[in-house]
Amino acid sequence: MAITFKKVDRNAKLTLWEASYVPEILRGMSITMRHFLTNMAGLVMELAGGRKHRKIMTLYYPEEDPVIPPSYRGRPALVRRSDGLEKCVACGLCEVICPPHCISIVGAERENGERYPLTYTLDGSRCIFCGLCEEACPKEAIIMSHDWKNLCEYDRSKMIYSKEQLLYPERNLVRRLEAIRGRYFGIKRYKNN
Amino acid sequence: MTDAKKDYDFHKESHTERMVINMGPSHPATHGTVKFLVTLDGETIEDIDVEIGYLHRAFEKECENQQWSGVFPYTDRLDYTASVLNNIGYALAVEKLIGLKTPERCDYIRTIIGEMARMSGHYTNLGAGALELGALSAFIYFVEARELVWDLLESVCGARLTHNYVRIGGLISELPDGFGLGVAKAFKKNRELWSDFDKLLTKNRIFLDRMRDVGGISAEKAIEWGFTGPCLRACGVPFDVRKAEPYLIYDQLDFEIPLGSTGDNFDRYLVRMEEINQSMRIVEQCLEKMPEGPINVDDPNWRQPSKDESSKKIESLIFHFKAVIEGQKVPAGEVYQPIEGANGEVGFYVVSNGGGKPYKCRCRPPSFALTSAMPQLVTGSMLADLIPTFDMINLIGGECDR
Amino acid sequence: MITLPDLVETVVKIAFILGLTIGFYAPIIGWIERKQSAVMQDRIGGNRAAILGFTVIGLFHSLADAIKLIFKEDFVPRGAETALHRLAPVISVVPALIAFAVIPFGGTYNLWGHETRLVIADLDVGVLYVFAIASLATYGVVIAGWASNNNWSLLGALRAAAQMFSYEVAMGLTIIGLVMFYQSLSLVEIVDKQENFYHWGIIWHFPAFILFLTCAIAENKRIPFDTPEAESELVAGYFTEYSGMKFIMFWTAEFLEIVTISALCVTLFFGGHQIPFVTVSGLIDFLGFLGPNGANAAAMLIGVAVFIIKLTLLIMLQMSIRWTLPRFRYDQVMKLGWKMILPASLIWIFLVGAGILTGVMPAV
Repeated sequence: MAITFKKVDRNAKLTLWEASYVPEILRGMSITMRHFLTNMAGLVMELAGGRKHRKIMTLYYPEEDPVIPPSYRGRPALVRRSDGLEKCVACGLCEVICPPHCISIVGAERENGERYPLTYTLDGSRCIFCGLCEEACPKEAIIMSHDWKNLCEYDRSKMIYSKEQLLYPERNLVRRLEAIRGRYFGIKRYKNN
Repeated sequence: MTDAKKDYDFHKESHTERMVINMGPSHPATHGTVKFLVTLDGETIEDIDVEIGYLHRAFEKECENQQWSGVFPYTDRLDYTASVLNNIGYALAVEKLIGLKTPERCDYIRTIIGEMARMSGHYTNLGAGALELGALSAFIYFVEARELVWDLLESVCGARLTHNYVRIGGLISELPDGFGLGVAKAFKKNRELWSDFDKLLTKNRIFLDRMRDVGGISAEKAIEWGFTGPCLRACGVPFDVRKAEPYLIYDQLDFEIPLGSTGDNFDRYLVRMEEINQSMRIVEQCLEKMPEGPINVDDPNWRQPSKDESSKKIESLIFHFKAVIEGQKVPAGEVYQPIEGANGEVGFYVVSNGGGKPYKCRCRPPSFALTSAMPQLVTGSMLADLIPTFDMINLIGGECDR
Repeated sequence: MITLPDLVETVVKIAFILGLTIGFYAPIIGWIERKQSAVMQDRIGGNRAAILGFTVIGLFHSLADAIKLIFKEDFVPRGAETALHRLAPVISVVPALIAFAVIPFGGTYNLWGHETRLVIADLDVGVLYVFAIASLATYGVVIAGWASNNNWSLLGALRAAAQMFSYEVAMGLTIIGLVMFYQSLSLVEIVDKQENFYHWGIIWHFPAFILFLTCAIAENKRIPFDTPEAESELVAGYFTEYSGMKFIMFWTAEFLEIVTISALCVTLFFGGHQIPFVTVSGLIDFLGFLGPNGANAAAMLIGVAVFIIKLTLLIMLQMSIRWTLPRFRYDQVMKLGWKMILPASLIWIFLVGAGILTGVMPAV
């Protein structure tokens, strides 16, 4: 168990054969051709068989979606309860902790004494998707959803999301909710993978 | 030799002029937004003036207006090719100030994620270096390898680039299920791509001629200029923060730190290539030895309550409100904590006056010191040599300009 | 005295060559470059340009590029030499086109009593003609760089001038051995002499092939010799200030030069339209069941097809070289040209001479 230092090999001397460019160029071309041929085979097999033989990393984006892990932080979303109202109680913790100060809340009270946000504005052009609002929220009311599409606009004023735009039904956020409930001293811990 | 011949001044007689060109701020070679004011005599660089600051966004001032935990997203944006390392550096600095000891499992996970970030940083740097010398396929192979590392980091941290994963006294979350398997699979492919890249370039004479004996600096000069990291080790100076001032669990691990001998671009390249390998080794060792246990300190002052806790216990909820609104109170004092970043020594000098916000949070960026030596490295060489030298110096705008 | 059938024949041949180069190869090379590099690099490559929902594996991208660039603003920078700035792309595209005139793309066929020779101009000094024309391309580059009023362009043009002139010398010398071997400067004759597979240039002149290909790529300024347009150093070199249609012309010139180089290689080293172990007359005899005219026409089509296949394979070889290697530094390019390729080709000339004298190489 030790950290040691090691000199790197500078292969300072090339043999005349190596210095003549040709062998190394051929070796390099054999590597790129190997990639070419295996990828071609995969592409042809995919066209012919329809099975997923493709060896290529890239995705056909609009047709294929990347796999989003549960821990992914997408656009913040306000959770809508099953009765259609928002879970948020307008306590303002997210507003305080938000590093770029992109959240602003005006709170109000319902007849039954429940606090709720009259307006909840999140400036999507300032949000840095850090997830601190989600961590601060004591009510699991603001969640980083797995929504990552259509976040861009030509006009910044269109990126200021109102409460209505941010509200998501809770059932769409189950995966993310489970992931964040396991955090800190939550359910998931002490497990070696 | 006659007197007339001795006095013959070629430049005077041939009526040539120096050519002054602006390289940057948006030039294909100046990724990271920097400007070179290059004075050329033909193809030879007579003089070079480096202008930085195009990515300045007041990191340090911004930190003073954030709570201690709110600084993490900003540290992500320093060296954005290896952002978790900055997270770790800042967290270690604040923990040192508080005197907090993180659980062992947390240290292990930090090491794993940090080494993966170092890999991603080196992949970016070497890949971009290859790209700028025209070897596009090699670049894409390393981008592919980096993509695999990013997939793993994304599954742990929740973002591909700006991870924001580390917290004071711990981490935000446990490793996901099947992480070990994912690492084994990704590293197998990474090693294949690494060897492809190596075979494409390391012995290729065109690449060797471009890199070898170009942009060199002696060990003494490198130390004078404040070099750290791979660029210093390329000069043959055995200095690595991981060994000099072990943090996390590096002293319990078994790995090699590559050293160069002449300090030219080729040595920098080789050192970085080898470091990728060693990082993979470190991650595998850590995964093997990782103990089970908590990932956060068991101290309600420092860890945030879990969602279950805060919604069920009123004391916990009140404490949470207080912590978020006032900020966690870090005892007054000042501390400097260096770590080995992807580019060199990333240090955080943190001052607290006992409040909920940092009084001062200074970052020591490695690439600032490296970039300041650019004139030393390239004056007298050809214009084309500026490109590999600048690449191997690896200026990361976010880190250098802060 | 030129007769009507001769005139028709020549016009048809010119139309065919123009169609093959500008109409077929220029867009196809763009496509090959995209797709081959993509698959080599574990990517998919452009496949989004569609007409009525058909993408044809990305073939329409070349068309989309052309349409986009034609409608772009034709930009001339302030202080530029307007006339020369406009002229430069033309000067670089024309030599690439007319070099093709002496390259035989088929044999001699007797169609309806008319002797048809599949070459536009059967010059006695075909090889020299190609080199003479290729050297003109330098002017396009140099003028483009100088007329743009841009430091990057100027640097690129200077590099291009030095590089292209140096490599012309070396390129000429690499071929001398071949000319000695075939005892002719006419490309048609050289191809005819390669009817016997054992007399193919590649078999007896493999070192010359490597040297020639290197010089040719250097002439064409592609990676690893693309110092005049090195994008990481000189932004885009001599065509930094070009946009729209003029930019297309530079690219077309580059693509056409790839075709010309490949065609020259096919002609000099790979037997042109010849199929190994099959003579043209043998092929016509074999196809005799189609009648005399039919047999000749079929043999002609096969010959042209073989030529195009060889051409395409060589183009793909050049592409894979381009996507594999890093780029030289400017002084290393010059060093390679003057200090390695030039002596090597001189040595090769000496060896070929010795081989012919001693009878090691067959007399053809």
